[in-house]
Amino acid sequence: MAEPSNILFGIETEIGISRDQAEDLDVVAESIALVRSAAEPGVLLMRWDYGSEDPHADMRGFHVDELRQDTDEANYYAADAQRTLTHAEIKSDLVLSNGSRFYNDHAHPEYCTPECSTLDELIAQDRAGERILMACASKLSLERGSTVRLYKNNTDFRGHSYGCHENYLLPRSLPWSDLVKGVQAFLVTRQIFAGAGKFAIEEEDRFVSHEFQIAQRSDFFSELQSVDTMQRRPIVNTRDEPHANARLYRRFHVIIGDANMSTFATRLKVGSTALVLEALARDSRKPRPQLMDPLGALRSISRDANFKWEVRLQGAKPSTALEVQRFYLEASKSLCDLNEPWKKSVLQDWETVLDDLEKDVMTCRDRLDWVAKMALIREFQSSQGVENDDPWLQSLDLEYHRLDYAEGLYYGLEQSGVMRGVPDEVLVRRAMIYPPETTRALIRGKCVQKFAGAMESAQWDHVTLKIKGELFKISLLDLFRQEDIQAIAAVIDAAHSPEDLLSMKMVS
Amino acid sequence: MPDQSQKTRSVGSGPSGGGDGPSSPKVEKPNTDELLKRMRKVDPDQAKRYRQRTGQ
Repeated sequence: MAEPSNILFGIETEIGISRDQAEDLDVVAESIALVRSAAEPGVLLMRWDYGSEDPHADMRGFHVDELRQDTDEANYYAADAQRTLTHAEIKSDLVLSNGSRFYNDHAHPEYCTPECSTLDELIAQDRAGERILMACASKLSLERGSTVRLYKNNTDFRGHSYGCHENYLLPRSLPWSDLVKGVQAFLVTRQIFAGAGKFAIEEEDRFVSHEFQIAQRSDFFSELQSVDTMQRRPIVNTRDEPHANARLYRRFHVIIGDANMSTFATRLKVGSTALVLEALARDSRKPRPQLMDPLGALRSISRDANFKWEVRLQGAKPSTALEVQRFYLEASKSLCDLNEPWKKSVLQDWETVLDDLEKDVMTCRDRLDWVAKMALIREFQSSQGVENDDPWLQSLDLEYHRLDYAEGLYYGLEQSGVMRGVPDEVLVRRAMIYPPETTRALIRGKCVQKFAGAMESAQWDHVTLKIKGELFKISLLDLFRQEDIQAIAAVIDAAHSPEDLLSMKMVS
Repeated sequence: MPDQSQKTRSVGSGPSGGGDGPSSPKVEKPNTDELLKRMRKVDPDQAKRYRQRTGQ
């Protein structure tokens, strides 16, 4: 049964890619090559089951005929048809032994963490993704004879944005209308700690100016809620693909966030959001702050050069993003089940960050991406006499997000020892190979580790094996109880071959 | 590329992230010598050449 306190979460990140000395780089071909460089024995290649995906299903209870991006997608497919590659080859879906999915999404390598139930698991898995991507870039650079650069960011400074989405598995019993009404002001204002910072103002398909703002994505949202994700993006995405038993669960797909380099920021972003959602699931009728102009507030908060972050609540009541966040913090304290240590830790960090942002935003340069980036680049700008409209600022911004330990500016900050919340190296290395122990990803990962050759396909909610010429599905739709997960894991551990799973009545 | 991971130092409260409670942190300015070298190496026109397709 879906419980409010057992919210699972995961992150899917589209990565920017470029290569030195490559004029008119074909980013699709480069993305495909990068993903495929991770293919090796023990990895499931090109077996993602798209049959059960339905991005046209809407949480509001209807099914849209088409998405705004369908035309773009059709054009991409038409262009990709010239490549003499099949759809499966273009997507190049991989399922890795840690339970993650790694594939070419449009023209970006995308790394999706497996489902996690604790923030320690999530941070290790997200970091493991960075590490896997870096290894792929090294391999491809050698093959190509020039450096492949990867960027964990959200823009090319020309008005082309790409996402870092979060997913939260919630009980279906939380009414959608209550969820939307209750979470909107939180999502609009959380950028004050979750923003990755950007030395640019953009619009769709164009650069506007060089001013700094605290979030990368806030320029790209123009709807309150909709099922779209590529055009006229909404604050609340209504896609209804639970990847779980649809009678019991809904997957809340958050598309408004930035890709964070700081693990502290990732932790606070996902942790606070999970707590806000849990509080909503426990009491969705408790009044929450309602913004008078959510879309206007999203932009004005991000672009406020004085970091006052003033907003108007319904009824024209003046407030600030900090006050809105404090409301959600207090509601989470009073409504959430705080028995799990990570929840208490997040509440403490959340409160401290809000206090520090109120006192002096610069005190957060050791934790939050936008402050760390702004401080670092402004100091460099000052010492080197760089003008405010110098495109060097965008280049430095870009390199802050570079996935390269020797070159990336964020990693440089980490190596200087000032960034907080850096995960234990042992946990990260483990997460590159092994799935989280506490979620159904354990079953997916174990199947890939032991029986990749027999796997016909995989999806978030099932894996299908071909045994003695017949297809057998292991359903993960309802697999959330710890004892059930561990029981199935034990069966897979004991099996010497896929046929053993048959005899143990593991598959149907 | 050599594996640089060993250079990464664990700081703060380790894998559990922050959780340092409500007291204000002491914020150190990073030792910028090494970082400045990296930043000077960044091609000022790097972002001008960076073009991506719109994603999700």
